[in-house]
Amino acid sequence: MKNRIKVFRAMHDLTQDALAQQLGVTRQTILAIEKGKYDPSLELAFKIARFFNVSIEEVFSYPGAP
Amino acid sequence: MSELTNICDLMKQNTFYILAGIIGLVEVGMFWFSVRYMIPYLISAAFLVGVLILYLAWRSITDRQTDERAVLINQKAGMATFMVFWVIFFATSLGSAVIGLGAPPFPHFPRPPDQGPSRINESIKPFGDGQGLPGESIRPPDDGLIRLGHFGYLQLALLFLMFFLYVGFRIYYARKYGEWESDEEQD
Repeated sequence: MKNRIKVFRAMHDLTQDALAQQLGVTRQTILAIEKGKYDPSLELAFKIARFFNVSIEEVFSYPGAP
Repeated sequence: MSELTNICDLMKQNTFYILAGIIGLVEVGMFWFSVRYMIPYLISAAFLVGVLILYLAWRSITDRQTDERAVLINQKAGMATFMVFWVIFFATSLGSAVIGLGAPPFPHFPRPPDQGPSRINESIKPFGDGQGLPGESIRPPDDGLIRLGHFGYLQLALLFLMFFLYVGFRIYYARKYGEWESDEEQD
């Protein structure tokens, strides 16, 4: 699964650590998601999208999906 | 009591590690004491109490960092450990069962006098007045309990294997889910 968390972070001028603290996870988890090593749970995915005030599809995309 | 609660509430992760080390040393001392004075229940009880204290302390850590990825890594490592350990434990138990089935009945029933000693060690008699030769040690009676104690070595070896399996799988899944990934923000 691909994601644009890094892009949204840059747009909001946020570090991984700051985003992690806002979402209640570790910085390593944000890093792992950005690098595609870990797919977040639905709950965390919604939290991330809601934090950036966008829809979940704008943050996460599944390869091959229309 | 409330002071103890306050101390526990303030426990940091590093304080917990120090406490774990101290409890570990106490457990080693208790083990030595149990062996020295042959009180097997002492180390068993001490270990249970030690684990209980560690559990209560672990629950009171204030700066524990855990999230869904850490939980997933622990779950995967635990499940993989369980699956591998189950196979090894079953294989070992089958071997032990073969030894057990091939051994004389337990406990040793007394035999008629004309069929030899009922226990192996009854055939070993000390010389003369029963004190034996100087420097000769008389082996304790073989009542099965000592052999049960030796079985504990195998159990401990299996438990250590379980621990190392868990550590190995923990490292594997931590790497898989990006535990030690680095990027430009880390510098």
